[in-house]
Amino acid sequence: MLKPLEVNPLKLSQPMGALLAFLGIKNCMPLMHGAQGCASFAKVFFTRHFNDPIAIQTTAVNDITAVIDGGDYSISEAVKNITSKVTPELIGLFTTGLTETKGDDIRGVASMLQPQHAMVYVHTPDFEGGLESGYAKSIEAIIEQLVEPQEQIEQKITLIPHVSMTPLEVERVKEQIELFGWSVFALPDISESLDGHLGQKQGALSSNGISVSQIKDLGSSHAVITIGNSVYNRGEKLCTKNQKMKHLHFDTIGGLKASDIFYSKLMSLSHLSQPHASIMRWRKRLQDALLDTHFILGGCKVVLACEPDQMLSLSSILTEAGVEIKAVISPVKSDVLVNIPSSHIIIGDLDDVEEFLDDHTLLITNFHGERLAKKYHNALLTRGFPNYETLGNQLKDDTLYQGSTQLLFEVANCMQANHHI
Amino acid sequence: MMVNKKQIKELLNESACTHNEQKKSSCDKPKPGATSGGCAFEGAQIALFPFADAVHLVHAPSTCLGASWETRATPSSYEGENNTYLGYCTNVTAHDVIFGGNKKLEDSIEYIIEHKNPKAIFVYETCVTAMIGDDMDNIASRMEAKYGIPIVVVHAPGFVGSKNLGSRLAGEAVLDKLIGTKEPAQIHPFGINLIGEYNVTGDMWQYTPILEKIGIKVVSTLAGDGRIENIQTAHRAKLNVIVCAKSLVTLCRKMEERFGIPYISVSFYGKRDTSNAIRSIVGAFKNEELSRKAEEIIAKEEEALESRLLPYREILQGKKAILNTGGNKSWSIASALQDIGIEVVATSIAKATLEDIEIARQYVPILIKSPANEQAKLIDEHNVDILLAGGRSLYTAIKKKIAFVDVNQEKKISYGAYGGLENLAKDVCAAVKNPVFRVVGTPAPWEVSNA
Repeated sequence: MLKPLEVNPLKLSQPMGALLAFLGIKNCMPLMHGAQGCASFAKVFFTRHFNDPIAIQTTAVNDITAVIDGGDYSISEAVKNITSKVTPELIGLFTTGLTETKGDDIRGVASMLQPQHAMVYVHTPDFEGGLESGYAKSIEAIIEQLVEPQEQIEQKITLIPHVSMTPLEVERVKEQIELFGWSVFALPDISESLDGHLGQKQGALSSNGISVSQIKDLGSSHAVITIGNSVYNRGEKLCTKNQKMKHLHFDTIGGLKASDIFYSKLMSLSHLSQPHASIMRWRKRLQDALLDTHFILGGCKVVLACEPDQMLSLSSILTEAGVEIKAVISPVKSDVLVNIPSSHIIIGDLDDVEEFLDDHTLLITNFHGERLAKKYHNALLTRGFPNYETLGNQLKDDTLYQGSTQLLFEVANCMQANHHI
Repeated sequence: MMVNKKQIKELLNESACTHNEQKKSSCDKPKPGATSGGCAFEGAQIALFPFADAVHLVHAPSTCLGASWETRATPSSYEGENNTYLGYCTNVTAHDVIFGGNKKLEDSIEYIIEHKNPKAIFVYETCVTAMIGDDMDNIASRMEAKYGIPIVVVHAPGFVGSKNLGSRLAGEAVLDKLIGTKEPAQIHPFGINLIGEYNVTGDMWQYTPILEKIGIKVVSTLAGDGRIENIQTAHRAKLNVIVCAKSLVTLCRKMEERFGIPYISVSFYGKRDTSNAIRSIVGAFKNEELSRKAEEIIAKEEEALESRLLPYREILQGKKAILNTGGNKSWSIASALQDIGIEVVATSIAKATLEDIEIARQYVPILIKSPANEQAKLIDEHNVDILLAGGRSLYTAIKKKIAFVDVNQEKKISYGAYGGLENLAKDVCAAVKNPVFRVVGTPAPWEVSNA
């Protein structure tokens, strides 16, 4: 019998992806159009993951407005109540399974409210897609509804990171591109909003990120760089705002080969024959790390269960040191899955993961993997959402030469530690 | 639609709730754009998930469970597979929204029975599955007849209201479908049910061994370390004990009407409240021998606790604190703090019920209505040493360079009963001794000092 349900789900919903996208915009109020619990669950989830306050409000649809309101009442009431207390530069309105089942016309409501309030709206029912698609749809809506068409280009680059990139990863990639002489704007930019910094006070809105005026101006970017298959089309979308804009896409920037491609494209875009000295140093360190760790990692068996773009990235780092990807369990379908060299690629849940676990396997997944690690005595590396158990999730980096180097050491140490038990 | 409007109205206007004697409106509806806190589904989940021997099947698309499973530390001594920490979801998709999710639900129930062999299944209705009108009750009763285990549908979709209401609806489902469906082998003369005790961080285990030593038998719990078989016999207990949470008062009132079981409400935070709770439980049985035994054990426990608390008292004696938290914690934690020698200058009542405010008044001289405005001023005026609050107030503590204890964070260690008080003393001492709040507050070399 084919399993008709999910047992120990891996899948995270589209509205949660939308929330992450809006949290990377400065002074934004993400507004989830659904019952109060939808927003509450998402808020608690990311608060615990990032160990930081999360800005979000809800339209608090109840059993009466669920039936007689087309969204007009609850959304405009919510906007009124929010703006009576704070002044957001943007309200990011996104839907849930409940309000999509009702079939609310959020476009109509948004256009009614937009004269007074800056607003972006997006359809993100949780009975479709997942974290990656909800995030990508929101970026699409932001580009479509905010970015102004332009004809001139400036010395700047737009970076569109995939949803599983941590605040530190976004920051590091921005800095790497800056080393080639560009100003860089990330859309969205969680590197300053969810990075776990001590601010002056705790605000009700997202603390930092890309500003609305910077978003409006992204059309003058010389190029857009997309990282992760899930956001590829968003780069294409931004290019429609300016014919002169170039699009550089990378499914992954993990591992030596992928990083080489990343830097070589940046060099040719910037007309430079050589990158910054620090980049060259980190490449040598990565070469050394690959050799240092290959004794442990060669033939090691790894099971991956995260979001697709993150799994591709992790696998492209680890396979370079001879790791064998025993199985890939993805919460959703994705084109990148076939690029991961594994004989078991499954759309499933953490229940499906168990089939591949034993005490010689390393499992890379979110904190729910801890229970499995206790049961099967397998090594565990926590990556992806949510991670309630270990601190500092926002400052993990598994990208480019430096992040790949550190990941190799972390995985090798993790395997060693598990074998000494 | 299977959401029962009449039942919801009755629960919101519960006559046993203090506030309903005073104001005409019932528990408030959530306000768009100005609401925090979970929904009814979450409340149901909190109330019932601690039944570790039952499978909790959430009939919903991915948000409801995907973001909420394995989140609460409610340990269980159940030796089989602990379902509290597992997530079962029908994963409703666009296809189901259009064609209905009945088939999927039925298949899921059959799959669970075949592969997991649970003692019961709770099926949780959620917003989307309420909207598409899946006939859950029908499926549940057919499956129940076919497989012979209780299959309880919990009609608490998120949009009907708050967490509190959801817990009440869960209580109703348990009352209608489980309580009284089995007779116990023996009826204990001093049998009690613990209602609204979820054994968070093992709180319940701090005091149940003491009760048992006295001669009290815990017949069933709703639902900390709970078992389906026990809750089925709950109607044969002699007393219902509501622990802290007020949400299940309706259930207790109905059990009194239906089975003649009286109920009392107690708190197990702090030394005085724990001793008082034990006395109230024992007192309800009006048995001299039992009362004598209880006093003997209380005296022994208190004495042992006092000697364990000595080293902490030396550090905490005379320290002043402000407490900013919600609900019954506004007085229960205050009482516990006083028990370890701390002077509680003020407590916040911004998120407390009328009943809680009345109790808080008896413990603490100053009640804070608006913490954001009053907190900082009170710290200065009273030379306060410790702020116990949620993360939002951390900045105030750092600015004032005083110790901070996050009382709203998901705690990992129990503060319940005598043993828990020692844990609380340990944590507050650690905060008072920790230099971190002053270190973090040091201005950067490039900042002009405001002092």
